[in-house]
Amino acid sequence: MSGAVWRASRAAVRRRRVQTFVIGLVVLTSTVALVVALGLLAAASGPFDRTFDRQRGAHLAATFDPAVTTAEQLTRAAHRPGVTAAAGPFAQTVVTVPPHLDTAADGDYHPPPGPVTVVGRADPGGPVDRVDVWSGRWATGPGEIVLMRPPGQTWAATEGIGRRLTLPGAPPLTVVGFASSLSQTAGAWVRPDQMPALHPTALQMLYRFDHAGTGAEVDEGRTTVTADLPTGALLGSLSYLTVKQDMTGTANAYLPFLTAFGVLGLVVAVLIVANVVSGAVVSGFRHIGVLKAIGFTPGQVVSVHLVMVLVPGTVGCVLGTVLGDLAARPMLRTVFMGFDNGYFEATLSPWAEVLTLLGMPVVVLLAALGPALRAHRLPAARAISAGSAPGTGRGLRVQRRLGGTRLPRAVSLGLGLPFARPGRTVMTLTALILGVTTVTVATGLSASVGAFLDATGSAYQSVSYVGDGASTTPPTDTDAEIEAKLRALPGTARLAAAAPVRVHLAGAPQPLRAWFLRGDREIARSALAAGRWYSGPDEAVVGAPFLKKHGVRVGDRLTLDLDGRQHTVTVVGETVAGDSDGLTAPWETLAALAPDLPATRYVNQYWVQVAPGTDVGAYNAAVKAAEPGLQPTVTGDGTSVTVSIVGSATVLTLLLAAVAALGVFNTTVLNTRERRRDLGMLKSIGMTPRQVTVMVVTSMAAVGVAGGLLGVPLGIAVHRLVVPAMADAMDTTLPAGALDVWHPSALALLVLAGTAIAVLGTLVPARSAARLTIAEVLHNE
Amino acid sequence: MTSQDSTPPVVVRLDGVRKEYGESTALDGVSLEIRAGEAVAVMGPSGCGKSTLLNMVAGLDRPTAGTVTVHGEDLGRLNETGLALFRRKRIGMIFQFFNLIDDLPALDNVALAAQLTGSAPAQARRRALELLGELGIADRRDTYPAALSGGERQRVAVARALMNRPALLLADEPTGALDSRAGEQVMDLLIDLNQLGQTLLMVTHDPRLATRCASRLIEFADGRIARESTLEPTP
Repeated sequence: MSGAVWRASRAAVRRRRVQTFVIGLVVLTSTVALVVALGLLAAASGPFDRTFDRQRGAHLAATFDPAVTTAEQLTRAAHRPGVTAAAGPFAQTVVTVPPHLDTAADGDYHPPPGPVTVVGRADPGGPVDRVDVWSGRWATGPGEIVLMRPPGQTWAATEGIGRRLTLPGAPPLTVVGFASSLSQTAGAWVRPDQMPALHPTALQMLYRFDHAGTGAEVDEGRTTVTADLPTGALLGSLSYLTVKQDMTGTANAYLPFLTAFGVLGLVVAVLIVANVVSGAVVSGFRHIGVLKAIGFTPGQVVSVHLVMVLVPGTVGCVLGTVLGDLAARPMLRTVFMGFDNGYFEATLSPWAEVLTLLGMPVVVLLAALGPALRAHRLPAARAISAGSAPGTGRGLRVQRRLGGTRLPRAVSLGLGLPFARPGRTVMTLTALILGVTTVTVATGLSASVGAFLDATGSAYQSVSYVGDGASTTPPTDTDAEIEAKLRALPGTARLAAAAPVRVHLAGAPQPLRAWFLRGDREIARSALAAGRWYSGPDEAVVGAPFLKKHGVRVGDRLTLDLDGRQHTVTVVGETVAGDSDGLTAPWETLAALAPDLPATRYVNQYWVQVAPGTDVGAYNAAVKAAEPGLQPTVTGDGTSVTVSIVGSATVLTLLLAAVAALGVFNTTVLNTRERRRDLGMLKSIGMTPRQVTVMVVTSMAAVGVAGGLLGVPLGIAVHRLVVPAMADAMDTTLPAGALDVWHPSALALLVLAGTAIAVLGTLVPARSAARLTIAEVLHNE
Repeated sequence: MTSQDSTPPVVVRLDGVRKEYGESTALDGVSLEIRAGEAVAVMGPSGCGKSTLLNMVAGLDRPTAGTVTVHGEDLGRLNETGLALFRRKRIGMIFQFFNLIDDLPALDNVALAAQLTGSAPAQARRRALELLGELGIADRRDTYPAALSGGERQRVAVARALMNRPALLLADEPTGALDSRAGEQVMDLLIDLNQLGQTLLMVTHDPRLATRCASRLIEFADGRIARESTLEPTP
C-alpha cells in the first residue's frame, strides 16, 4: 500500500469519527451475535455424536456368559476385521438396591431402589467408552465405588462422596466419585479386584466398529464379534443407536429452535454489516471524487475506502469475537446442561470463532467492494456530485402523493424519506423484519413453553426428598409419621407421596422407572393428551415417548416385573409429558408388586401443594424443622431446560434487536448526513427542531411499522414450524393452546416492537439533526 | 400626519453585535437599521463578516454580544423553536445554491414553506402556483430541480421565500451561481419585489447586483461597517 493511500485512509478514519465508531460498534455487536449464532448452530449439530466421539463411545456393549466363553476367546474375537477398538472383558454383575427407609439410620448413601449394573474397570479411559468422572475420582482402592450419574445432576454430589454404600450380599463400599458414560455401560464401577466380592455373573465387552452408522451395520458388527464364540455365549447387547434414540429426544427438541435462532442471528448480523459498510462507502462518493480529482488512481481510491472501513471493521471483529466467546460459552453450557442432564458437552466450537474472525472482515470487504467499485467506474465529477445531491427519480411519486395528504408536513416528508434511498431502506427493513421475527419467535416460544408447562408442570411447590444422598441426616420418622407431620403443617394444601421404583417390563432387558403415587395424585405431573387417569391397581398412564418406544397404545396391557413378581396393568391414559421409560401407577400397584415388603419403604419424596399465599421458603424451613431427615426444595415454575431456552432466547433476542437498532441508527446517521443541506434549508424556512425530530423519527418509524407488519407473520410462521418440530423430536403431543399463543393485543405489541427498535435507533441522530447549525450547513455547500 | 409618521418603520435593528468563532471575530460591534421597503446590499471581501451578518438577522446564528431585533422581536430572547417560528413568519431566504429539495417538484418545493405552518396542501399549492405564475415559471411547476435551469431554480427559491409573505427577504449571493442572463432575470425580479414594498437585505460580491437592486450599500471590512452609501437605481 502506498504512503498516500495509507495517509488518505488514516485521514478518512479520523475525519469520520462517528461513522468509524458506528462501523466498529455494528461489526462488534454483529460479531458477538455471529459467534453466538454459529456456536449454537455448531452445538446444535449432532450433540450426541460429538460427545460420543469424544468419549469414544461403544457402538456395541455386549455381555457374555463366563460359563460358556472365556476372556481369551472374547479378546481374540475383538481382533476380527471391522472392529476398530475394543475394551474388556470386564466382570459385570447386577445387584438390586432395596428400599432404604428401614435401614437408613446411619448416614449411608442410598441410590434409588432397583437393579444396578456394576462393572469392574481399572480406569475410566481406554480405547472405548472413556468414562467422564465429573465429581470425585475413579475407584482405585479396595472397597471403593464410582456411581453413574449424569453431569447435570449435581445436587448433593459433593456430600455423597465419602459415604458408605451397602449393596446386598456385598461388603460395604465407599463412594469416591460420580461419573457418566454416554454409552450407558454401567450404573456403577469398582476396581476389577473388587468384583469377586460382588459375585459377577457376566463379562462385558465394548466395541467400536469401522461402520456403525445404521442398525444393520451394528448388527453386522455384533455377528462378527460373536461368530467364533460358542453358542449361547452372548447374553445381551446394547447398540449405541438405541441409547442415542433414548437420549437425544430432549436435545433434539431444541435443535429446531437453536437452528432457527442461529440462522436468524447469522442473517441479521451479515445484513447489518453489509448495510452499514456499503452505506459508509456510498456516503463517501464525494470523497472518492475529490481523491480522483487530485490524482489518485481508481485502484488507490478503492483501496482508501476499503482500508477506511476495514480498520474499524477489523477492530470490531476482533473485540466482538472475544466478547462473543465470553457470552457464548456460559450460554451454551447453561443451555446444554439442561438437555438430558448435561450428558452432552457444550463447548464453543473453535470453528465458530475462526469462521467469524475470517468471515466478518470478508463480509465487510465485500460489502464495501460493491459500491467502491461503482465509484471506481464513476468519472470524478459525477462522483463528487453523487456525494452532494441524491439522484432524481427515486420515490418521487411517493413524495408528491404524500405532499398532497393532510398529514403534518414534517410527517409526510419523513414518510417519503425512505424512498430516496430504496436499496438502503430495503436492507434496513430486512434487518428490522428479521429483528421482529426474532422477537416474535422468542415471545411465541416462551408462551408455548408456558402452555406446555401449564399442561405438564407440577401443581406442587415443595418437594421433600429422602435418601439418594439428599440428606446427611436420615429421617427418624416412618413414612406414615412423615406424611402426618407434613399434612399437619400450616400451609399444606395437598400432598402426594411418590415412590420411584425400577421395574422391568416382562421380557425387556432395560428397566423402567415406575412412579407409584399415593395421596392427592391430581397434583402430580402431566395433563392427559388422551385417555384418562388410572382408577385402580390394574391401570397405569404413560407418556407419548413411552408409547412410541415400546410400541404400545392406550388400552394395551403391560406386565410389570419387580424382583420376579409380576403384575399386569392396562395403559388407560397418555400424558402430555413423560419419558420413554417412565410409567405412573397408583400406590396399590406397588403393593401388588411387592406384597412382602411394605410399599412405604420405597417412598423417597413427598410433593406438597401449599395453600395460596404461603411462603414456600418458610414452609420448607418448617418441613426441615419438623423432620431434619427431609431435604425440602422449591420446585420452579419451569424446568431447567425451559429456563435455559427462554433465557437464551431472551439473550439472543436482545442481541439481535440491538444489532437491528444499530442498523437503523446507522441508516439514519447516513440519511441525515446526506440530507444536511435539506435539513438546513427546512430549518431556514421555519421547520422547528421538534418538526425535524418528528420528520427523521417518522422516516424510520415507518420502516419499523413495515418491519413489524412483515416480521410478525414471518415470526408466527417460524414459530409454527419450530414448535411442532420440537414436539415431534420429543415424541410429545402438543397440549391445546401451545400453538395458538397469539392474541390481538400481543400481535399489536409485536408490530410495535419493530417501531420501537426503529425509533430507538433513530432518536440520537434525529436529535442531532434537530440541533444542526443551519448557517454552517447552508453556507458551506 | 407629521413627516416623522411617514418614515417607514424599522424592520431590522442591530445594536453592537459581535460574533466570535473561537479566536477569530466575524462581527465586531456592528450597529445598523433597515427600514421597511429598503433594499440594502452588503458587500465586502470574503471573510469580512457579511454572511455572518445575514445569519444573525435570519436567526440562524446567535451573536456573542449585542442585540438583533427584527420586526420588533429581540431574537436573543427566542429559543430554537421560537427562532424557527420567527423565520417561518417573518423571513424569506434565498441562497446562492438555491437549496431546493431534489425529491420535490418545483410546486411542492414552494408549497413546503406554507405547509410547515399547517396550511392545507391544496391551499398551499394554490398559493405556490400563483407565485410561480407571478415569477413566470408556472409551466415548470411539475419539474424537479435537477431538470430546471439555474435561473429557474433561483426563481423557485424566491417563490418559496415569498410563500409566507415575509417582512424581510434575505438573499445570500442570489446571482452567484447563475450565468449573466439568469442573473439579470433574478435582479429584475428583486427590483420588482422591492418596488412592490418588499424589504430586501442581500449579501453579494456582484457590484451590478448592488447598484441595480439596492437603495443603500453597506461595505464591510474586518467585521465592521467600513462605509455606507445611498444608491440611485440604475436602469
